Amino acid sequence: MSVVANGLSMGAIYGLIALGLTLIFGIMRIINFAHGALLMLAMMISYWLWAATGLSPYILIIIVGPIMFIFGYVCELFLIKPVLDAQKEVREPVAVLLLTAALAIVLENGALMLFGADYVMAHTSFSKATLALGSVTVSASRFYGLIIALVAAGAFYLFLQRTQIGRNIRATGQDRNAASLMGINVPKTFAVAFGVGTALLCVAAVVLIPFYYVHPSVGAVFMTKAFIVVVLGGLGSVPGALLGGIIIGLIESIAAQYMAATLTAMLVYLVFLLVLFVKPTGMFGSPYEW
Amino acid sequence: MIKIINNKKIILLAGLTAILLLIPVFITKPYFLHVIVMCLLWAYLASSWNIVGGFAGQLSLGHGIYTAVGAYATVMLFNTLGLSPWLGMLIGGSLAVLLSLIIGFPTFGLRGAYYALATVAISEGVIVLLNSVSNLGKFQVGGAEGLIVKTVGNSFGAIQFVSKVPYYYIMLIALGLAILVAKLVKESRLGYYLVALREDEEAAAALGVNVRNNKLIAGAISAFMTAIGGVFYAMLIRYLEPNAIAGAAAMSTQMVFMTIVGGAGTVLGPVIGGILLSIVSEVIRFYLGGQLMGLHLFVYGLIVMVMIIYQPAGIIAWYDKFKEHRLRKIGNKGGASGAENSSGA
Repeated sequence: MSVVANGLSMGAIYGLIALGLTLIFGIMRIINFAHGALLMLAMMISYWLWAATGLSPYILIIIVGPIMFIFGYVCELFLIKPVLDAQKEVREPVAVLLLTAALAIVLENGALMLFGADYVMAHTSFSKATLALGSVTVSASRFYGLIIALVAAGAFYLFLQRTQIGRNIRATGQDRNAASLMGINVPKTFAVAFGVGTALLCVAAVVLIPFYYVHPSVGAVFMTKAFIVVVLGGLGSVPGALLGGIIIGLIESIAAQYMAATLTAMLVYLVFLLVLFVKPTGMFGSPYEW
Repeated sequence: MIKIINNKKIILLAGLTAILLLIPVFITKPYFLHVIVMCLLWAYLASSWNIVGGFAGQLSLGHGIYTAVGAYATVMLFNTLGLSPWLGMLIGGSLAVLLSLIIGFPTFGLRGAYYALATVAISEGVIVLLNSVSNLGKFQVGGAEGLIVKTVGNSFGAIQFVSKVPYYYIMLIALGLAILVAKLVKESRLGYYLVALREDEEAAAALGVNVRNNKLIAGAISAFMTAIGGVFYAMLIRYLEPNAIAGAAAMSTQMVFMTIVGGAGTVLGPVIGGILLSIVSEVIRFYLGGQLMGLHLFVYGLIVMVMIIYQPAGIIAWYDKFKEHRLRKIGNKGGASGAENSSGA
């Protein structure tokens, strides 16, 4: 059972990372290749803030969240927007995607220059602690991670459904021209969506650092998983991202009981291939709706 | 007028060919020659990617699997059975085509993003596989330690030479062929179909273009060429390491960067981008490589970013603008008699 709990918590974190990816894709039609590197950045910032202040990593959300939002907002405004504008008449903005890939290289190597290639982890008081839930024993940090990830995903869903900004974002995702005609400032909504997608990473970052090592290329691991998750759940689908994440997390942790680590990784890719053949649009179907 | 331009073009082409043929005579330092050969190889790989990524607009972000399939199949057959890489590359190329069909079949019916994500995920899967399998029956695969190519000294049949000069000429011919293929594809019926489906898939389908099949053909041509590039890489470096031959950062993304920076969907754009970016990355590595860890890649990423922000349509767009400008000047000259002085710059 603790295997299932571990799978659930890791899966919820995958889902959370995939949420930002699917949001940015759903609104802007951009696959954000810097997503993993941005996660790494959020983890690095969280780790150093934790090391400096000694506060509980979870409280750091209120500091790291705004930092990541501003970072994403600024990135969109100064890097992505100019290219999007220049490629307006191009149907698939490939150059933008490549721009995010280049940004990922810059961020990863920037982190390598600043922090070196060391593996660090926030050894908090509860990092090694376990919780007994009835007959099941789970790692405390993973359990908290699961709860926080689920709460964050729920809050994000409410934000999209109930707030004006959320409605603007959804409208822009459905039809940016129509949204623009309804008086929505589309460029600003893009920047906000990118900022929100980036800010979501701070939650994943703070729940990861108590039990997961941080290093400059940590993002790559999570980004590939996030890609698989969004295809599994259906590109642009919020519940799909969360559910897809949990499924991948469960497959990984359960399979790890029976086979070698490399085979587990292969199994995830196999599942991915299978989904691609059987139902390529993922669990939550059409990629053009929310 | 047209005839004069053509003559000029022929002279220019002949001059360029002469210079290219004579490069190894003047540049004799193995290091420099190696850098030049790598430039040609990257230009070749970018041109191969461009067939599916540029002309068809299908963003493959995992072309490293094709270089890997070509290289691994060829080297495994060569090391164990002594099969000439010239034959091995045909087998490797065919396997790459098969792989491209497997990936393309479910995803090409969908929007572009699915194909892009699928290529990333599958190439990550292939890297995991290559890193974990150490042998297939009697064939050594090497796993994470990598696979060393058996050296046999100078042998054309084994594509192994002590000097870099033969590699230069082989790569030059390969690049020439790749440019030729690109030109043929672009000017063929297939090329027009590809441009049509890239610009508007529904409209192309409505006009009777078989979208999926044309994408699959473009993907297969691209995969075959890329696999052969992987074989040249293997014979040049003589060591296959999964992350270097199939990795996203080292291989797959590079081809895409080079094509976009040069100009995707054009015949010469990827060649220009490939040569330019490999020179840039080599120069930065040379001057900054030994210093702070990560510095040279940091600078490389910044340069790529600036280039994409500054000219997302690629370097070739500048040349097109220049050509348009010149044509307009010629047009002005022909149109108004004695307008030579008035048209100015």
